[in-house]
Amino acid sequence: MDELNKDPKEMNKDLLWRSVEEYKSGGKLDDVHYNEFMPGVKEEFDPQKMGSGISRRKFLALLSASAAFTAAGCSDYRDKGELMPYNKKPEEMTIGEANYYASTCSSCAHSCGILIKTREGRPIKVDGNPDHPVSAGKICAKGHASIMDLYDPQRFTEPQVSKEGIYDPISWKDVDNKVILALSTLGASEAAFISNKVSSPTAMKLMKELQEKFSGIKYYYYDLFSDVNRATAWRECYGEDSIPAVINWDQADVIVALEANLYGTDGNSVEQQRLITSRRSVTDTKKFNRIYAAEANFSSTGANADYRLRIKPTQYHDFVMTLINEVSKRGKGKGLVPKEIAGVLSGFSVETFAKKAGFAPKSVKALNSLVGDLLSTNGKTLVYAGETVPVEVHVLVNLLNEMTGGSSLYSDSVSNVELHKYSTAAEITDLISKMKSGKVKLLVNLDANPVYHLPKDSGFVAALKSVPLVVSLATLQNETTFASNFVLPLNHNFENWGDASVRSNVTSTMQPVIAPLYNTRQKEAILLQWLSGNAEGYKETAYLDYLKASWKESNEVTGSFDKFWSGIIHDGLKLETSNKTEDYKFTLEKVALKNPLNEAKFSVILAQSYALGDGKHANNGWLQELPHPISKVTWDNYAAISDKTSREIGVKTNSLVEVEVSGKKVTLPVLIQPGLADNTVVVELGYGRTKSPVVALEVGKDVSLFMKSLTDRVFTNATVTPVDGKYILASTQDHHSYDETLVKDVKDAHLKRHIIQEGTVKQYEKNPEFLGKKHNLISLYDEHKYPDNKWGMTIDLNKCTGCGNCSVACSIENNIPVVGKDQVIIGREMQWMRIDRYYAGTPEEPVASYQPMMCQHCDNAPCENVCPVVATTHSIDGLNQMVYNRCVGTRYCSNNCPYKVRRFNFYDFRDHFAKGYYYEQPVNLGHNPEVSVRPRGVMEKCTFCVHRIEEERSKAVATGRKLKGSDVKTACQEACPADAISFGDLVEKDSEFKKFHDHNLAYHVLEELNVKPNISYIARLWNTNTEEV
Amino acid sequence: MNIDYSKELPIVQGRLSLGELEDLIAKPMSEKPTPKYYIALAITLTLLMIGATSLGFTFYYGTGLWGNNQPVGWAFDIVNFVFWVGIGHAGTLISAILFLLRQKWRTAIARFAEAMTIFAVMCAGIFPAIHTGRPWLDGWLLPYPNQHGLWVNFTSPLLWDVFAVSTYFTVSAVFWYIGLIPDFAVMRDRTTGKVKKFIYSLFSLGWRHSHRNWQHYEKSYVILAGFATPLVLSVHTIVSFDFAVSIIPGWHTTIFPPYFVAGAIFSGFAMVVTVLVFVRKVFDLENIITIDHLEKMNKVILATGMMVGYAYAMEFFIAWYSGVQFETFVFINRAFGPYAWAYWIMVSCNVIFPQFFWFKKLRRSIPVMMVIVIFVNVGMWFERFVITVTSLHRDFLPSSWGYYVPTIYDFGILIGSFGLFFTLVLLFVKAMPVVAISEIKAVADGAQPTHHGGDH
Repeated sequence: MDELNKDPKEMNKDLLWRSVEEYKSGGKLDDVHYNEFMPGVKEEFDPQKMGSGISRRKFLALLSASAAFTAAGCSDYRDKGELMPYNKKPEEMTIGEANYYASTCSSCAHSCGILIKTREGRPIKVDGNPDHPVSAGKICAKGHASIMDLYDPQRFTEPQVSKEGIYDPISWKDVDNKVILALSTLGASEAAFISNKVSSPTAMKLMKELQEKFSGIKYYYYDLFSDVNRATAWRECYGEDSIPAVINWDQADVIVALEANLYGTDGNSVEQQRLITSRRSVTDTKKFNRIYAAEANFSSTGANADYRLRIKPTQYHDFVMTLINEVSKRGKGKGLVPKEIAGVLSGFSVETFAKKAGFAPKSVKALNSLVGDLLSTNGKTLVYAGETVPVEVHVLVNLLNEMTGGSSLYSDSVSNVELHKYSTAAEITDLISKMKSGKVKLLVNLDANPVYHLPKDSGFVAALKSVPLVVSLATLQNETTFASNFVLPLNHNFENWGDASVRSNVTSTMQPVIAPLYNTRQKEAILLQWLSGNAEGYKETAYLDYLKASWKESNEVTGSFDKFWSGIIHDGLKLETSNKTEDYKFTLEKVALKNPLNEAKFSVILAQSYALGDGKHANNGWLQELPHPISKVTWDNYAAISDKTSREIGVKTNSLVEVEVSGKKVTLPVLIQPGLADNTVVVELGYGRTKSPVVALEVGKDVSLFMKSLTDRVFTNATVTPVDGKYILASTQDHHSYDETLVKDVKDAHLKRHIIQEGTVKQYEKNPEFLGKKHNLISLYDEHKYPDNKWGMTIDLNKCTGCGNCSVACSIENNIPVVGKDQVIIGREMQWMRIDRYYAGTPEEPVASYQPMMCQHCDNAPCENVCPVVATTHSIDGLNQMVYNRCVGTRYCSNNCPYKVRRFNFYDFRDHFAKGYYYEQPVNLGHNPEVSVRPRGVMEKCTFCVHRIEEERSKAVATGRKLKGSDVKTACQEACPADAISFGDLVEKDSEFKKFHDHNLAYHVLEELNVKPNISYIARLWNTNTEEV
Repeated sequence: MNIDYSKELPIVQGRLSLGELEDLIAKPMSEKPTPKYYIALAITLTLLMIGATSLGFTFYYGTGLWGNNQPVGWAFDIVNFVFWVGIGHAGTLISAILFLLRQKWRTAIARFAEAMTIFAVMCAGIFPAIHTGRPWLDGWLLPYPNQHGLWVNFTSPLLWDVFAVSTYFTVSAVFWYIGLIPDFAVMRDRTTGKVKKFIYSLFSLGWRHSHRNWQHYEKSYVILAGFATPLVLSVHTIVSFDFAVSIIPGWHTTIFPPYFVAGAIFSGFAMVVTVLVFVRKVFDLENIITIDHLEKMNKVILATGMMVGYAYAMEFFIAWYSGVQFETFVFINRAFGPYAWAYWIMVSCNVIFPQFFWFKKLRRSIPVMMVIVIFVNVGMWFERFVITVTSLHRDFLPSSWGYYVPTIYDFGILIGSFGLFFTLVLLFVKAMPVVAISEIKAVADGAQPTHHGGDH
């Protein structure tokens, strides 16, 4: 503008101007006219020149940032309480990496070594401790599932006053004071401490010290399943002080299981499965052992036996006598036969026995083969009677083993450890009468459940009312805490210090892997407090100090004890070396010559439950839902009867019968069990809990009321009458094989369809390719390429015993929900891994076959192409993947799966089961953080433990090596006591695994569909005398 | 036999004048609904509410409320879907294929059948949407570009279904609407009520009955008929792929596409007859929807019923002839296994009962045809049940065999779908002409120029 105010005369006079403005501007307006656009418009865009100096981009950035801030500022911020990050990393912990701690399992008295996996301080999985000489890295289903007991939402969280099931909190001090007062004022009266078997030497020492201090204390030991018959018979045969020997199962060429479930409920099944199946490896068929099972019940041992003889309980005695006769007839061990027996032996021959037992020709052949084996195996034959078998028969079995030389299989270097004897029936009766007469001032229940276990006739419950002070130590409410005055809450095993000794070659230790979740203490710490005579000054480390002191005392350590101790705790065990050799001297002279079980119309066997133990594990949904290895029934016990008997009395599966034993009656649902002895009812114990948290409550029926003493397990004076009504048993597999008449193909369908392929050892040795050549099916489509790895699995059907440990381990590893009985009935169980059980043959003499079945990770997976949203895909390493987030839930994949291994979340099962029991705190702490918890409406299935593969892959990448198949172990593989499952990489051509996968005996299920499954099964070989199955 | 084939049977009977025809057809719309109508509506709405409630519970608790399980992943949900899609086949077949084949008798029933098609497809469409575990994510079945880079799986027959059914619905609805335009105009011209007039005017799209209008109309109608014709065949072909593409014995069958189409026409015609029998009675349309028309439909039912019967027989033959043991087993199991009752209901309803239609007297008897078509409806529902459930419940591994039992929620939703269907039918008959007024006039006696002056 300055220019416009200049004197015009100063301007250039030559200028041609069109307006005054132009004249005044000195021609500069020309530019304006010349330029089409206003100034600035044509210039390069430069935000700095703009008024605000803010670019469009920056403006948008600021706009969105401020919008985000506003949104965040206005949102409802949920204060999640105190969140405490690790600002200094604990030395022993890396976030996201698991720590493993060695400890000892306390689910049963076998005290297997365990490794507890913890993540960020929370135990999430239990597996066996591989260094433990007995369990060798494996544990049973109960052990696997015990992790869920830690997180059971209804654990006692603090001491309680108990009044008929109403629990009110009280302080530790108050209860301790009452107990200490009672103990110190006992006078002549008694303080009865009732306990199950104690296997901890240090706890035993402490208990003795307590008894020394308070002399009125008397300990009573009982177990519902105590194997007392064996122990009693053993003492009769081998002297008062001896205890049953440890058996070298892996050295036995022939095993005869007499009503003994070696793969389930008799003895340490984990050890037995490992050792016995170690002799059934197809890579060395010469070493195959032969298993005979003579039983009334149909056990998983019977199902896996090469020969199974169906005998009634009343024939146990005759069976063993027959074997004794046949052996002695041929001069073997004749001298050992006591004269009472020798006189009558001739009445027991194979012919007479077979006739009496009504054996089919097949069974007669089997019996003859057994006699032959007893004579020919050079002492490598062991006859083993089960815990329900009467003492008299056990004695005969011991005699037979001595005669055949089977006793050479008794270990001479390792023996069982017995820290105490069980109380006799007389002692228990005495206790009850003392309780009634008021002589017992204090009764302490040390984590047992006598009200539920002790014979109902014994009057224990009534007598309990006469005891002024009853204190129960327990983790969960049970029948005994209901009848107690006070309940002291116990730690879970994983919160405990301790030790255990069950075998002479090892002492295992127990360490806590988590601080007690609640205001609970461990049993020994409570006793220590009482020992101190003072309710004040409880120290959490009290028992640790005691334990260490005790170990220091009993172990001569060269060097630092702390170092030694750390080593022991780290390993979870101390191997004991002893030069002592065990010598079992057979001293039997006299023998009662009588069949202890008289012939009768109906026999009842009270069997041990596979999963629930003595009822202690009944509140564990994972165990309740574990299908019974034979019947596949979950969530119930039942009266198992044979097909013939069921027709005779006119009942079917799911009908009701009333079983009566000497005036006691129980109404039970019927299950027709093929292979069961006729006129025999088998019922499992451990069910019918009346006072317990919700999972176990009223599940099944308590049949212990038949028992007059704890050893009463077989009854021959029973009557069975059908009653009106129906009760649906929840079975995961239907019982269609025998009841179907119109559709003939149902029978033996698994064999006709080559789902199960079997042969005999002889057949295999003659022609290793008897299964037929492997087919090479062609496909229209290009095959997948697997450049690095291709995961595969091989399952050896020779080793699988059908125990189901893998299934439980899988459920826990993969956060699989419990669905409950109602859902199992309609076929919605969620276990990713199931053990299929098939029967062939007749209902009287069935041949059972097991087959673990899970996602086969097919190359040409039929599930993959039908998913409309690509929620199930194929990975480059051969996995069939499931993308939960993407799944809409059409269920088409499951329909199209020929193996039906996919599982659908029809409900939010955690919410659906028992009104959200498993949604309660702190169950979520037990979830594996590596595996997502699936929501409702989503399909799921076995992943081959993809999270474990990825974990190993990242380790391999970090160390710059190639991921090998042997790096990865799936949860089922780790859990299998028989090592039936192997997992690996199929790209590694020369690996052991690959060779085994392609073994002559390996086959794929439903191979003809050309879905190319990546799991191969090794055909079962029966080790029979002949080539036929 | 003394039949004069040189003359067609009159399509409209009773010598009605064109005006009378129009009055007759337009009557339901010009009169206020009677109490009987409200009672009928109350019943269908109750059924609808039963379905809505069952569905509400299902959304809240999950598909677990149904009987579906392992191994029967699909049951009532998919059975109902296929059933309703099948019902939805008659309308378009009648209106499109018979139109192209110049079957004039179709005129009397085409409108109604088309409306039923649309309602049936609406009922059908519900089921794929609700059968999923997470129905709120059904949108993922549509291929829309998204920042996650997720796409649908075009190899899945379920996705083909999405397209087949939605295309079929769209084309049928457009076809139906185009046919309705001249009638809306008629109604617009007839009605006196302001609201009604506004609505009819809106839907008649400014139709003026001009030659030009008619010319465009005829052209578009024939083009759409051409469009719709392949769809009649394709929809159920693709629905059958849901099964045929799988590897499950009993599903994996090449006969399925023609078998499903024949079955669909069979069931669709049966449903049309079921409803028309009532409609012609209630609205005095006996002269327009004549017994001749019903007889013709019954002939189609007989023909398609025998095709279906042939398919049943072929399935068994192939199962045996193939020598595949899984296949053989599935069919023996169908006929004699745990679901034999369902199989024999299906066979008797679909194959045996329609045989009565061989007799002219029975074909023309209203009570007889009522019973038979209802049997056919039941039988065709069971056909889908047999295919879906019995194939799934026992497939390859005997260990995973199971049994499916429906729950009250399954029945509730099935009932609800009937409620929806009949509610829509009831609303339709009061709001739109159930016979195409303009078309029926065109086929009435004397409407066409003839060389010999017709009957008059």
